[in-house]
Amino acid sequence: MRSRDGNLNFSLSICTVISLLFSSQTLKADEYLISYRYVVKDATLYNETLQIAKAMQKCVGEPQTELILENDGANDLKKIIAENSDEFIDAIHKLGLHVEHNERTENLQNSSTTILTLQTTCFKVDFNDNSVRIAPLK
Amino acid sequence: MKYSLLLAALLSASSLMADDIVQAENTGLSEPTKNITVVCPECTKVAPMQEQADSEQVLSAEKDILINVTGQGVAPMDTSSPAQAYALAKRAAVADAYRLIAEKVKGVRIDGQDLIKNMMVKRSTVRTSVNAMVRNANVVETTFKEGLCEVEMEILISHSQFAQ
Repeated sequence: MRSRDGNLNFSLSICTVISLLFSSQTLKADEYLISYRYVVKDATLYNETLQIAKAMQKCVGEPQTELILENDGANDLKKIIAENSDEFIDAIHKLGLHVEHNERTENLQNSSTTILTLQTTCFKVDFNDNSVRIAPLK
Repeated sequence: MKYSLLLAALLSASSLMADDIVQAENTGLSEPTKNITVVCPECTKVAPMQEQADSEQVLSAEKDILINVTGQGVAPMDTSSPAQAYALAKRAAVADAYRLIAEKVKGVRIDGQDLIKNMMVKRSTVRTSVNAMVRNANVVETTFKEGLCEVEMEILISHSQFAQ
């Protein structure tokens, strides 16, 4: 005859396996800090920088509209973004950029500088076999 | 006695009337001022501006405002291919369009300085600056012709975005 708490151990082990599975799923989703800045001087692109770094601390916030990029099994976000840079930069523009413009006209000669900046934002990145899901956290 | 008082009253009334006529002659106006119509070119120019101010779009809870701008950018001289030139010019044009949107929505700060020495203008400087955050602007059309890229962008401004 089976004891009354015989099923307890079994159910506990099932729960442990399920929780381990869930925790491994969450570990797969990495968090990255991304910033973007570009400078236009006298109507000509002067400098463009996209900084990507893995977050060392857990970010706070909920994932917003996600962007799905193609991936051929690589786990390097920099490489994936470099391959889909136009798509990614369009998505960054949609998030919103800070515009700083300074213009100077001296003796009727004009010069201008425009700086567009995406302040450092945390992104949740899910690496899958054929795609990468990137969602900003807010 | 009565006749003398009446005469005095008549005299004073006539003197007052005479003063009014003299004042009118001195100013060169023959009619009362309320009937005067002034015709000047400046006055006719003011009317369309007033109409323009009346037709200016004001953000309200009932109606959103669509802002349309066209940014321009040029490719650098030292590009390795026409495709690169296009991509760089487009980036510059997008930045210009963002700046135009920021100028329209938030406004421009303007500082001017003139240096005058010995009654002559030595240096005249005008500085303008814009600082804003632009979100949800969309590219409508892009054209690239003879090294100049033009990007038409639009943004929908709604009252709720500015609610505090």
